[in-house]
Amino acid sequence: MAAILEKRDLRDFDWLTAVLAIAIACFGIWQIHNALPTESYWSKQIIGLGIALVGFLVVAFSDYRRIVDYAPLFFVVGLVLLLLVVTPLGVEVNGQKAWLKLPVIGQFQPSEFMKIPTVLMLAKYFGSRKSGPLQLRETIIGGLIFAAPIGLIMLEPDAGQAITYFPILAAVLFLSGLKLRYVVLATVAAAVFVPSAYILGVKTGKIKRYQQERILAIIDPDSVDPRGYGYHTIQSTITVGKGGLAGIQGDTETSQSVLKFLPEPHTDFIFAVTAENSGFIGCVSLLLAYALLLSRMIAGARQSSDRAGMLVIMSVVSAMAFQIFMNIGMAQGFLPVIGVPLPLMSAGLSAILTTFIAIGFVVSIRMRRFVN
Amino acid sequence: MKLNDHIQNLGARVAAVQILAFILLAVLGVRLYYLQIVKGAYYAERAENQRVRLIPIPAPRGAIFDRNGKILVDSRPTYNVVLANEPLKKLDLSGRIDDYSAGLGMERQFVVERLNLIKKQNDFETMVLKENATMQDIAWVESHSIEFPELLIELQPQRFYPLGTVLSHVLGYVGEISPTQLEDADYKDKGFRAGDIIGKGGLEQYYDEYLRGRPGYRKVIVDSRGRVQTEIARVPPQAGMDLITTIDLDLQMAAEQQLESSSTKRGTIVSMDPNNGEILAMASHPAYDPNVFIQGASKPEGRRQIAAYWQDEKRPLYNRATQGRYPPGSTWKIPEYVGALEQGVITPQHSNMLCGGGITIGNKFTRCMGNHGSPPLDYAITKSCDGYAYHLGLKMGIEGMVKMIQTFQFDKPTGIDLPNEKVSQTPKSWMPWILKHEGKWSDIRTVYASIGQDTVVATPIAMLRAISSVGTEGKMYTPHFLKEFKPIAAIGEEDDPNYIPARQGFTYQHPEPAIIPMTDDQYHVMLRGMWGVVNNGGTAGAIKMEGWEIAGKTGTAQVSELGSGGAKDHAWFISFAPAYKPEIAIVALIENSGFGAANAAPAAKGVYEAYLAKRDPALPIITQEEATGKKGGGN
Repeated sequence: MAAILEKRDLRDFDWLTAVLAIAIACFGIWQIHNALPTESYWSKQIIGLGIALVGFLVVAFSDYRRIVDYAPLFFVVGLVLLLLVVTPLGVEVNGQKAWLKLPVIGQFQPSEFMKIPTVLMLAKYFGSRKSGPLQLRETIIGGLIFAAPIGLIMLEPDAGQAITYFPILAAVLFLSGLKLRYVVLATVAAAVFVPSAYILGVKTGKIKRYQQERILAIIDPDSVDPRGYGYHTIQSTITVGKGGLAGIQGDTETSQSVLKFLPEPHTDFIFAVTAENSGFIGCVSLLLAYALLLSRMIAGARQSSDRAGMLVIMSVVSAMAFQIFMNIGMAQGFLPVIGVPLPLMSAGLSAILTTFIAIGFVVSIRMRRFVN
Repeated sequence: MKLNDHIQNLGARVAAVQILAFILLAVLGVRLYYLQIVKGAYYAERAENQRVRLIPIPAPRGAIFDRNGKILVDSRPTYNVVLANEPLKKLDLSGRIDDYSAGLGMERQFVVERLNLIKKQNDFETMVLKENATMQDIAWVESHSIEFPELLIELQPQRFYPLGTVLSHVLGYVGEISPTQLEDADYKDKGFRAGDIIGKGGLEQYYDEYLRGRPGYRKVIVDSRGRVQTEIARVPPQAGMDLITTIDLDLQMAAEQQLESSSTKRGTIVSMDPNNGEILAMASHPAYDPNVFIQGASKPEGRRQIAAYWQDEKRPLYNRATQGRYPPGSTWKIPEYVGALEQGVITPQHSNMLCGGGITIGNKFTRCMGNHGSPPLDYAITKSCDGYAYHLGLKMGIEGMVKMIQTFQFDKPTGIDLPNEKVSQTPKSWMPWILKHEGKWSDIRTVYASIGQDTVVATPIAMLRAISSVGTEGKMYTPHFLKEFKPIAAIGEEDDPNYIPARQGFTYQHPEPAIIPMTDDQYHVMLRGMWGVVNNGGTAGAIKMEGWEIAGKTGTAQVSELGSGGAKDHAWFISFAPAYKPEIAIVALIENSGFGAANAAPAAKGVYEAYLAKRDPALPIITQEEATGKKGGGN
């Protein structure tokens, strides 16, 4: 019985998704090494990847429908952990409590993991609904589910992390029949109002330089450099640009990160390190790998056997695409500096474990596409 | 379900999400192309600029020696505490002031000044916080390298003048190039930059190009805090060329000593070889200590001393020999009489002129010191008869005087190899002004000019050159200090990109001497008079030396308006010896000391004695008797 199941599982296992994700993670470890060859971040990341793979396999070979059934339980546990972060159990770094230190498990970032229960909770609620346009009542309940973790994360406060939750809600509402007129309205309102108000403010001098700095400080306190707003952005842009076509390929003598010009090279600015070391060729390859991975996951969503599965995959896809864009946009100097990790690349156990668990769900859902 | 929900257009919505994701990735790709391919070179350069730093290795300046190889100027190693600018820009410095002033034992005010200056500098440059760091300072900086990474220790060869005030006007000093010089096109073309050390005054300035070495540099990679990580290239400096001067330090010391013991301690003594223009000694008092400018500029007391030099009414910074202009008094008669002989106003055979105890111009009587009857030229020189000069001056006229001035080139600089030489002022230069304001050149001005007063002020070096030319029977050489510049070897191999070629040594290139037309008869009558000044009961008879015959002329130049009294006269003595085969010429000028015979002549004698003390006794000394076959003066 077990053998048959295993055989069928292996046959339907999404090798491409798994191999792509692991390949990107390994590429990431190499870049973490390039960032700071004398530090141990890269070897820690190998261990992190190992743990993440265990989590990935466990989730991938579980029946996601069972897990979605238990979503409220995970959701509540997650909320409790987020609550614990703002208690004295939370670890404070730079005036921000984003970390929790527990015995045996050690130090981790609940706001990163909380994305999974949030996705499952939303998928459970919207997956069971009937066909037809989204009702106001449903939108409100969805919004409340979403608001719980966001509210707790803002207490830390970690605006950068909170922002990464929004694509999840947006994707779920959009794919649950939110009327197009609202979609267009919301998009136009956001696309026009926010930037134009800001640009107008800056141009008329209403928003002064120090105020811009303050706005950034409100959005993400830990990324505002005491040596002046712009230092991170400038150094990251220089680092990306100097990579050129083929990059410096690990030359420590000229490395922006080894010479400490580039801040946070192994985490937030891992893309700048990648750009410097592997150049345009390496970066385009990375972007193509992301595109391929996202496409493969979306294909899984299309074949999903139920609505909940489709919503889980598309939430994961949206969150990942958004994080990739925010992180690389920041590294390329056209988006504000917000501490969003680059999925599969940035050093950090919480991030890589969460990402691989999420991909585990994607693989699990795809594996069960013929099940009814 | 397979997205079969047509009411919601679910398939299309999923496709929309996918397209949106691709658009975002495409935006990143386009931006990446712009940054890395279009602007890649630009960012590579920016990154290089912030990590690569050129640290100059200063080149030792060439040393300066006297003619016998005695050291006059040297460089010695010193250590500076410097501030690296790059890490400093990102720091709040106000908190550092007290740390620096306590740790390095500096005045707080001075630290504040330095920190304000550095803000105006470019990145990657360093600024000296403390010069001449002591061992304690170095230890303090090293032990606080974590706390104050902006402080570094730098080796700096420093100019050292072991003789202090001796020869200071000739040597000059060095210092940082001034902001106004940096604006100057001449300096810009030569690639000077702020902080470069250049010669200021004296030989240091005149021969700066050769004395200055070519700095090397270290090309290093620094991290974001400015700490050196690796050295990628090193180009060693090429030292400057050593300068051998014509100075004889023993004579120089004698001259300095004579000025020091003079009554006013103000004046100048210059000694020259009349046969080639080599300056053997040039002293000017009061003098300054060049070391003050080197070491003192960064210390409050040093800066006070420098300010005091500039403000001192006695003007210690100016070289009286080449920049001082004095009425030459009776010493002026020597070139004047040579001119009169050349122009045929008098002849060696018929040179008698009326003294008459003085002269009356209009209703004003200008007197002679005595009444010499109607003396011949040599007697008039020996006794310094003014009446003779008045009458001769009127006879040759101001035109004749101007012609003489051109012959002896008093209207030009002597061409000595020192900067900022002044040109004498004479009736020639005054003529346009006088004609404009007085309509004509009056006889009284001619009379005054005939005894080196009123419209005549000459530099001591010009007077020395003039009298030397009489001693050489009409050959007037350009005075100079340069004997030789020593060659310097090349740095590196010829195909090396950092190759610095060798520099050829060279010696002084003598211009052709100017010729003062002079017949043998004319020469002898002049010499007889000048020999008599010292050796035949003349005005300087008191300095007569046994076996060493000096030819000379005293001068007592009135400082205030003629006849009005006031400050004491300037004392002059111009001379050469041995009279009939001169080896050395000396001019002595003692300001406001009174009679030339009493004050200037003995000073010259002191230098002659120093010369004789080291002169080879085996060398013959030609006497007047041997040269002329006659004993004593007179016709």
